[in-house]
Amino acid sequence: MNLTPSQWAALLPLLYPVIGGCLVALMSLDKDQATTKWIRAAMYGTALLAVGATFWYLTDLWTTGSQPAFFQLHMDRLAQFTGIFVVVAAALTILQGWDHFHQEGWVKGETLALLLFSVSGMMLFASTTHFVTLFLGLELFSIPLYALVGTVRARSESAEGGMKYFLTGAVASSCFLMGGVIIYGLSGTLDLAIAAPVLAAKGLGTDPLVLVGAALLLLGFLFKVSAVPFHQWTPDAYEASPHPIAGFMSVATKGVAFIALLRIFPVAFKDLGVVGVKMQAVLAVLAVVTLVLGNLTALVQTNVKRMLAYSSISHAGYLMLGFVAGTPAAFNGVLFYLVIYLAMNMGAFGLLTAFGLVGEKTTFDDLRGLGWKRPAMGVSAAIIMLSLAGIPPMGGFYGKYMIFRELVATGHVGMAILGVLASLVSAYYYLRFLVALFLQSPGAEAERLASDRPLVHAPLAGASVLVCAAIVMAGGFLQAFLANGFARRALVDGLGLLR
Amino acid sequence: MTWLNSHPLTFLVFAPTLIGFLIMALPHSLGRLSRMLGFMGALAVFVLSLAWLLGHGSTGATILVERAPWFTLVGLPVDYHLAVDGLNLWLVLLTTFLVPLTMLGTWNSLKDRIGTFAALFLLLETGMLGALMAQDLFFFYLFWEAMLIPMYFMIGVWGGDERRYAANKFFLYTLSGSLLWLVALLYLANKAGGFNPILMGQAATTLPFSVQCWLFISFAVAFAIKVPLFPLHTWLPDAHVQAPTAGSVILAGVLLKLGGYGFLRFAIPIFPAAAMHYAKPLALLSVIAIVYGALVAMVQRDIKKLVAYSSVSHMGFVMLGLASFTVIGTQGAMLQMLNHGISTGALFLLVGMVYDRAHTRMIADFGGVAVKMPVFTAFFLIVTLSSIGLPLTNGFVGEFWILNGAFLSGFGWGRLYASLATSGVLLGAVYMLWMFKRVFWGPENKDPDSGTHHLHSDLNAREVAVLLPLVVLILWMGIHPRTFVAVSEAPVVNLLREANAPPVRTFVLKPAVHQAPAAHEAGPEGHAAEPAAHEVHR
Repeated sequence: MNLTPSQWAALLPLLYPVIGGCLVALMSLDKDQATTKWIRAAMYGTALLAVGATFWYLTDLWTTGSQPAFFQLHMDRLAQFTGIFVVVAAALTILQGWDHFHQEGWVKGETLALLLFSVSGMMLFASTTHFVTLFLGLELFSIPLYALVGTVRARSESAEGGMKYFLTGAVASSCFLMGGVIIYGLSGTLDLAIAAPVLAAKGLGTDPLVLVGAALLLLGFLFKVSAVPFHQWTPDAYEASPHPIAGFMSVATKGVAFIALLRIFPVAFKDLGVVGVKMQAVLAVLAVVTLVLGNLTALVQTNVKRMLAYSSISHAGYLMLGFVAGTPAAFNGVLFYLVIYLAMNMGAFGLLTAFGLVGEKTTFDDLRGLGWKRPAMGVSAAIIMLSLAGIPPMGGFYGKYMIFRELVATGHVGMAILGVLASLVSAYYYLRFLVALFLQSPGAEAERLASDRPLVHAPLAGASVLVCAAIVMAGGFLQAFLANGFARRALVDGLGLLR
Repeated sequence: MTWLNSHPLTFLVFAPTLIGFLIMALPHSLGRLSRMLGFMGALAVFVLSLAWLLGHGSTGATILVERAPWFTLVGLPVDYHLAVDGLNLWLVLLTTFLVPLTMLGTWNSLKDRIGTFAALFLLLETGMLGALMAQDLFFFYLFWEAMLIPMYFMIGVWGGDERRYAANKFFLYTLSGSLLWLVALLYLANKAGGFNPILMGQAATTLPFSVQCWLFISFAVAFAIKVPLFPLHTWLPDAHVQAPTAGSVILAGVLLKLGGYGFLRFAIPIFPAAAMHYAKPLALLSVIAIVYGALVAMVQRDIKKLVAYSSVSHMGFVMLGLASFTVIGTQGAMLQMLNHGISTGALFLLVGMVYDRAHTRMIADFGGVAVKMPVFTAFFLIVTLSSIGLPLTNGFVGEFWILNGAFLSGFGWGRLYASLATSGVLLGAVYMLWMFKRVFWGPENKDPDSGTHHLHSDLNAREVAVLLPLVVLILWMGIHPRTFVAVSEAPVVNLLREANAPPVRTFVLKPAVHQAPAAHEAGPEGHAAEPAAHEVHR
């Protein structure tokens, strides 16, 4: 194999996590009881090292501004952005996983290995317009996640959630595949960016079959971002999976699916004018349904994880509003929103680990009074929840601000009003989290149980939550830096938008 | 020190937050030290605000200003723009004054987590001062929303039995108004290319009138919820009654003012035509608020709830004054905002003091308090009379100017609405004095269980020290209100001229005598209230 440096540079970010994953998997073969503790530490260390190396490599690419490519794999600025995004989420997941899996008593090497493979798949998924590569990436990150949801096999609902996610996910993947096949059959090329002008030249731009193909592709993306009506798996899968994995799914899956959607629909398909317009209309309808259903269903949840699942559905709705506006500035807003959303949701799920909630004990009542017992976590929770609700000066507000601004500018005032009403509703259930933490005192029974149980000790999860809270606050005060210096440059250099 | 010389407003706004963070970092066990630290910090901010903001003359020009470009997001520049001028000078001083005073007044009211409470209080002060000083609408919006967070926790953690409901209601109610307002703000910012209110005002004039009206309505609803204007007032009784004393004082003293201030600073200057178009509905709602608030206050059994509903009535006067679009009415509204901050703040403090002793606020549980607590009674009486609007107290001047303004206003409805609103003054006397009679006079009402209330002690030195400045202010504002409205006169005159307010109607028998001589009569000897009244004849 004679690869040019540029080709190596495009491949290395994908290879690091895979190598790390293989090493971790090999380490987990050792069943010697005496060395278990050290092996565990080594596995987590290796995983962090792999993720850290990827991060370091990607930031290096970012600062030099190089845009390496390996055939259909373009490690451009947008892909580098995605890579950094996914890798940070994975690092936070690993940190939280250390504490969470110890609390659950289920420390297994394959969890980390699967996570690392998934990271690699996500980067692949978001860095190409070639259909086969795209599908490869989709499956490479989805299949490990199906397994990760059911990873704590000791819990019966864990297998149930994993199975449910797998079956629905498989249907979505096959729809995605079918969509690609239709486009390929009509255009004769697998590269979607080339297929679009070919189809347009053939006068097939408005062909119903092309529309069906594009719709099936869209379905695949919407399933991954858990937009209504493809959202049913979300609450069950989140509830079943370990907290850090649920956080990782909610953040990374949604993030890369949106970024890939951005790469394909508004950009690669821009020659198929009618597809873009029709898709925008479809997205508008689905965004409205997603916002309404996600928020209203979240209101009545008693389980924090299910609440967070519906909240993540409703956040998909806000991000889809960015696509409805459809301007480069709106995509800038979507990317900024994703950065803050990463910190908010990894923080929110990290809080559950930091407060030591395990198994089924993740209701609002289990959180009562914990904010006062763990003040640093309590303040972080306040920052994260208020940011999720979009209250300034937290970063979440600026994400919504950028998207709503573009909606209003493009004449979608009604959608913007719906969006703000949705975030008003959402404020109620986020406040409920804070009500439980600060405004309610623990019941006598919970107090008694707490005194029996040893004090929760989750330093790594706590640290990761603090990092998340810091990013959320930074989003509120360094908003221009993050939005213009980071998200915007990914768009400018990656897709040639906003130039 | 050079930084401080060039950034006094930044210091005033953010110093409380710094102290608040410092307190939060202190361990729980140092609650008493934290409370002292918080008080000293708030006091220092008050002293500095007096030193820096007063004594710049009463020209009406901007007193202090700090302005720098802050950031540009999605093409809209946002300015870091703080200023103190005639419109907000006294509201700023009221805020910095009330915060340490309230801390001192409720020194022993809270038993647990006092350090955290002091920290939140200071964060709230930053929010209030920032909202009062911010001149860029985006910047204003940030403070406006951020203010909710500490107040939410103050009500929710330290409040009464229904505190969670009240805190949520307060938060969501206010948020609903301001989120819809945000959409209007974005719409206008898109047209204006930024959040500068002057640019926005220019952009607004290019829009069709119906659009202007919609935008004004969304501004007005956001501010009216805060005021609160009938029928958007329903959060207020819950929040006031459930909040701890300090929360109630600040809620009544400053937060409600921000609604009226928002009208004066942003809604009316940006949409003068639309504001004029809706002057009648605004005035009608104000009159309803005045009468309805007073009637509901009359039947309350809880003193605190009575004071809360009296707030609805008093803030109705503020809105009536603004809707009159006359100089005297608007100046009256300015003064009434300060009045309400002082008098209602004092009332909530007094109710808090008696609650700390008796652990009840029900009127029926009291009686004959005058015998047990004579000093308390004297203070309560003065504040009650001020709230009623007795001449020589502040309440009289504000309400008189507002009614005068409404009566003289160029709108056809002015005389009728002024007459209706006057009944609110009468009703105010009824509910306050009736409550006073039942609580303070008559035979002592013993608690059937224990046989006695804990009204064993009269006010101590600390409480007297808290109330004295308030009483001094009540009298000062009643006798020489010009101290407090002189600076706002020029901006208000300017505002109304640019809004093209209809000329005032004069109802004098011999117009020839009264029209010309305004300039000659300007000598202010003895008649403190007079000079501003003459401005009517501009």
